[in-house]
Amino acid sequence: MATLDRIKNVCVELLKIDGSRVQESSRFVEDLGADSMQSIELVASFEEEFDIEMDEDAALGVKTVSDAVAFIDRVISEG
Amino acid sequence: MSKQNYLPLTPEAIKILKKNGCWSRHWDKVMVSRGFDPTRIAGTIFRGKVRIGRLDGHFIPMDGIRRYAGIFDANLHNVSIGDNCHISNIKGWLSNLVIENKVLIEDVGSIVCQGETSFGNGHSIEVLNEGGGRELKITEMTSAQTAYLTTFYRHDPDLIQALDALADKYTASVRSDRATIGKGSYIFHCQNIVNVKIGRHAVLRGIQNLKEGTVASSKVAPTFVGDGVIAKDFIFQKGAHITDAALLAGTLVGEGTRIGKQFSSENSVIFSNSEGFHTEVCSIFGGPYTVTHHRSTLLIAGMFSFFNAGSGTNQSNHMYKLGPLHQGILERGCKTGSSSYLLWPSRVGAFSAIMGQHYANFDTSDFPFSYVNEESGHSTLVPGMNFFTVGTMRDGLKWPTRDRRNNPDKLDQLIFNVLSPYTAQKMIKGQAILLELYANTERGQEYVSHQGILIKRLLLKTCSRYYRLALEKYFGDVLVAKLQEQNPAKLSALLTVSPEAVEDEKLWVDVSGLLCAKQRLDQLLDALKAGTVADLTALQQELVLIHTSYAQDEWSWVLHQLPLVFGFNAEISVENLKTLLQKWKIASAKLLNMVEMDAAKEFEGNVRTGFGIDGFPDEDFAAVRGTFETNSFKHQLDEMRVQVAQDLDHSLSILNKL
Repeated sequence: MATLDRIKNVCVELLKIDGSRVQESSRFVEDLGADSMQSIELVASFEEEFDIEMDEDAALGVKTVSDAVAFIDRVISEG
Repeated sequence: MSKQNYLPLTPEAIKILKKNGCWSRHWDKVMVSRGFDPTRIAGTIFRGKVRIGRLDGHFIPMDGIRRYAGIFDANLHNVSIGDNCHISNIKGWLSNLVIENKVLIEDVGSIVCQGETSFGNGHSIEVLNEGGGRELKITEMTSAQTAYLTTFYRHDPDLIQALDALADKYTASVRSDRATIGKGSYIFHCQNIVNVKIGRHAVLRGIQNLKEGTVASSKVAPTFVGDGVIAKDFIFQKGAHITDAALLAGTLVGEGTRIGKQFSSENSVIFSNSEGFHTEVCSIFGGPYTVTHHRSTLLIAGMFSFFNAGSGTNQSNHMYKLGPLHQGILERGCKTGSSSYLLWPSRVGAFSAIMGQHYANFDTSDFPFSYVNEESGHSTLVPGMNFFTVGTMRDGLKWPTRDRRNNPDKLDQLIFNVLSPYTAQKMIKGQAILLELYANTERGQEYVSHQGILIKRLLLKTCSRYYRLALEKYFGDVLVAKLQEQNPAKLSALLTVSPEAVEDEKLWVDVSGLLCAKQRLDQLLDALKAGTVADLTALQQELVLIHTSYAQDEWSWVLHQLPLVFGFNAEISVENLKTLLQKWKIASAKLLNMVEMDAAKEFEGNVRTGFGIDGFPDEDFAAVRGTFETNSFKHQLDEMRVQVAQDLDHSLSILNKL
């Protein structure tokens, strides 16, 4: 499954929202309604989903779904 | 003025006094100083033994109106009056008093001492456990540390006996049937003051009723007791400011503490630099910097320090069973959100933020810097998260700058550090617990329960990393400071611990503001039990010594922990220390970035709601709040980044020479 789809699944499960709301341009806070705690949980969920470790401060700076795709793909490619 | 300087009144002086409307049944009991000027006394009744000093000077109190020394419209009974006092318009009596030089007493009901009293010293209050069992004898010399040991070390009856004996000894030393009003005090527009010792340069203005107490005060740390205050069985320590109809019973108010706006207190101690307004407190152990400002807040049966209470903060200490027996501990640096509620007993780890209503009894003391949240009626914990918030960083920066104690002989011994062996030891343990919980929890499980509180399984690893970062920051901070302070020529010199330092101590404790190795505290407790601490002054000196030992004991602790926490060999190398510095650099950068992101939220999105009530929201926001880029805290963070880079370079240059 592509990174985007897996990110969508994580968002749907964690934020309890309909999948159609999750677009590449969606902002986690403003559009998907993630509060500050859910933002941290999203990072933790991405780490678990992709079996990676994300830099704490850089990950919290990710604002949109497409940012997350790029960020995670880079972490995976850097091994 | 010495006793032998007093002389009996001359017939001429008595004649003038009578002419001025004065009266005495036994003029021979009125003694005066050499050069006494009887024209400075009018409308005064003398009863019992009265001694009067020189009446030839003047002074200007804070209202700017010059007062000439003299006694006008007063009733004096067994009173010794120092030089150049101004006493006027005493509706009741000044009785059984020693009034020192240059005291102003004006427009007062009565100031009397009735029989022998210890002026609030030795009064026993029921701290923390409202039903009793932790009784504390308050004295003018009671520090936050002395009170902590008496309140919390009930498992050691010999220690309690020794501490009580010291309090009793002090109490006996101040017992008297005469109340002193200290030199330079101003007392005006007050009603009744009974059995109260008033220290030097104290100002009592408009108080309603004071009974059985001590107002400690000094020239550099004058104490103010103001309008409408009612207090009974109290100790006010130097530099305290109590006013605006505060209602206090069985209460110690610490140095530099501000109380007002109808604050009420019963059976409580509120130590240095605290602030209590509006709130009701009952049986609390308010350590240093306990701050509560709101009318709807109740603090009851809890221990607090470096604490900030949100409006409507509330706790319950009984469940209508065996009475009000439950207690709560909020370790240093905690804060409660608006309308938060805690059902005691619970214990919350240091520097935690508590939000919501909590009906579970939990213990999060292994998890400092946490969020304690309420989710769907359940108490949940996010360990470590509060370390990376702007609030915690600002708190840590502001406390030392808000120390209002001006007296050199400060009672409370305070170590302000947010990161210390005390919090670090807890983070080491907390990190291990989180990783163990993670390893032992099925992936499908949403929460794990630990010590009565729920933690999201998903966050176990994340939060353990928060602690890791905080530990790298702390150990690096200590190393950088040590390198810069010592500038060692050899590694062995750097790694040498002072022979006076406590060695290999695992447990550090927070003795209500004083962080210290338990071993060092135990040495003091042993001395107390052996009876080698003569009095409260000697105990205070021992606590000062513990305070001054902090840095050397901390370095000793850090050197012992480095191999364990960072996997170094027991013999620490220069390369090990360079590795630590690199980790510190990264941790510092991450901390500053995360704090900055947290601070930036105060300028984004929903926080702008309500600005521009009839238009121009951005302009209104900019006018009121400014921009994040120009915010002073943002600049502070930028300066910290520069400082980290400079400290790293400097520290590496020192290590490279070793």
